[in-house]
Amino acid sequence: MSPPGTGTPVLAPPYRTVSKPYGRALVALARQHPQIVCLSGDLTRQCEIDLFQAEFPGRFIHAGMAEANMIGIAGALARSGLIPYVHSFGVFTTRRPYDQIVNAIAYPGLPVRLVGFMPGISSPGGPSHQAIEDVALMRALPGMTVIDVADATETAQAVAATAGLPGPVYLRLKRGEIPVIFPGSHRFTLSRAQVLAAGGTGARAELAGASRQTGPAGRSGATEDSAGQDRDSQDRDSQDRDAGRQAGPAAGTAAAEVVIFASGMMVAPALAAVAALSAAGTAAVAVNVPVIKPLDTRTVLSVAETARAVVTAENHTIIGGLGSAIAETLAEAGLGRPLRRVGLADTFAEGAASTPYLFRKYGLTTQHIVDAAWSALARTGRPPQAPATPATPGEYAPV
Amino acid sequence: MATAIRLRAVAMVAPRGFGYLGQALSAAEQYAAVYGTAYRPGTDRVVCSPGHYVIAAYAAAAEAGLIGESLLASYGGDGSAWPAIGAEGGRVPEYTCGSLGQGLSAAAGFALADRLQGRPGTRTFAFLSDGELQEGQVWEAAMFAGHHRLARLTVLLDANNSQVDGPVDGITTLEPVAAKWQAFGWQAVDLDGHDATTIAAVLAAGAAAVAPQILICRTSTRHGLACLPPDADGHFIKLPPALAAAATAELAAGLSSP
Repeated sequence: MSPPGTGTPVLAPPYRTVSKPYGRALVALARQHPQIVCLSGDLTRQCEIDLFQAEFPGRFIHAGMAEANMIGIAGALARSGLIPYVHSFGVFTTRRPYDQIVNAIAYPGLPVRLVGFMPGISSPGGPSHQAIEDVALMRALPGMTVIDVADATETAQAVAATAGLPGPVYLRLKRGEIPVIFPGSHRFTLSRAQVLAAGGTGARAELAGASRQTGPAGRSGATEDSAGQDRDSQDRDSQDRDAGRQAGPAAGTAAAEVVIFASGMMVAPALAAVAALSAAGTAAVAVNVPVIKPLDTRTVLSVAETARAVVTAENHTIIGGLGSAIAETLAEAGLGRPLRRVGLADTFAEGAASTPYLFRKYGLTTQHIVDAAWSALARTGRPPQAPATPATPGEYAPV
Repeated sequence: MATAIRLRAVAMVAPRGFGYLGQALSAAEQYAAVYGTAYRPGTDRVVCSPGHYVIAAYAAAAEAGLIGESLLASYGGDGSAWPAIGAEGGRVPEYTCGSLGQGLSAAAGFALADRLQGRPGTRTFAFLSDGELQEGQVWEAAMFAGHHRLARLTVLLDANNSQVDGPVDGITTLEPVAAKWQAFGWQAVDLDGHDATTIAAVLAAGAAAVAPQILICRTSTRHGLACLPPDADGHFIKLPPALAAAATAELAAGLSSP
């Protein structure tokens, strides 16, 4: 755990966004590892692997709209010494071919990387497209590493960090415009959950003068120059490092009343919730848990121990995912704390026009996290109201 | 070799008094042809798609000298590395799976890997069963292999018209099987599945094929064992001691006679 008084630096919202951080990271990794092959379940551009296809056409395999077969093919490729990356939307890489994953990949413990885009209710595409139990499904498989990254910085680093894992990996990724929450100095690891510093209000002003790199709204643009984006990212990184150091003081790594464990798209609202609670006099701290399996139980317990209440936040059902993993950890350690799990409350969502609508309707907003913390602390009276953070097109702010 | 495979299968099933003997009885000639003539250990691959058939693969591999005799004695027992429904762990075959309908995908993946990694002569032999053709994934794999012209891929289909709930044709309609596979871009041959010589000849010719091949082997789960009672369950045969002794005697006599 970080020494008292510090925390993993974060940027302040609204967050700038980039496009195709995964696609670019996979290409960079594949340049180093010739045994990496890329399988597509008929969603190439949507899964950012048009970049891989363009650079390594001989290592790109169209599996078509046949996920069970794609999984079986991937297992056999892995047995032959290749490292297959399998791509589709999360529902189609987990729920649909689950038996095939068990038999062709998980039981034999093969180094296949299952990549699932469109986590939880980030998709307005209704229950057929909303992967709300994928983490639970993958977590239940022995030997599976389960990762739900929070931003573009972590996306790229997670791809590199999992390169050498001998067993299977499930990587859950947001589609489209990907926010940059962590500065370039951030270090994702497979073994540690990260206690987050509070996002500094001064950081935004430092970046105000810089030109913005924004991704095309709503879809990944195939015409973008990836090399140009890399140069922009390096410029951003040095600015981000400065911003990170100037972020506000770590919020209560030593004295938080409530800890909010969050993953993926819920990290941004968790940070906003911490800010709202802290502003109202309730010390809170957010912990990013990108690796849900194997869970960093040491950090979970050491942070929960110092708090009076625990909140978990996931873009996922509250059954079987991050919230359950945290609950199991607390209970097995005999660490009784009031727990509130923010996420889909054992319900399917629905088709809609927009993601924010779904996040509001199904309880995944910053305010829902604040309310959960208030409840877990048994506070009376109205919980603090989290201010809305406006975002211009190309920026991302939590709902 | 087929008779020897049947004899070994009886020996593997007898200790528990029941097991997947029918699968070995129907597929013995196919396994004899592959392990006895076509398969090159260390080069080619065998996929046993229905894990329940792994008894035949074990028996054939033992006959071919690829695995030790003592290993077969532990078949299907507690703590054995040679389970009755094939899974990971054994060296033989290169791939098997207890959840049916998945093996052809693995076989196609092996053939694809051979192409990607520059092994143009390596062959993959995939044993499938007719019941498995009911699983949609088989057709996903067939379409993939046909589209990619995975010509080093050879399927031996044990068409014994037997599945758990009874005859396959009492449950669904698979025919015309050959026409279906041809429509997917495969070369299809329909033949007597108990004619090991013809099977071996077709396998040899397949080495020069330009499309994936399937041998539709028409068989019976009772073949080669006259002492089996008429009501024997093709999927899971009961083999009490008296019947096991009779089967052993019949098969041993078949081995020793010219």
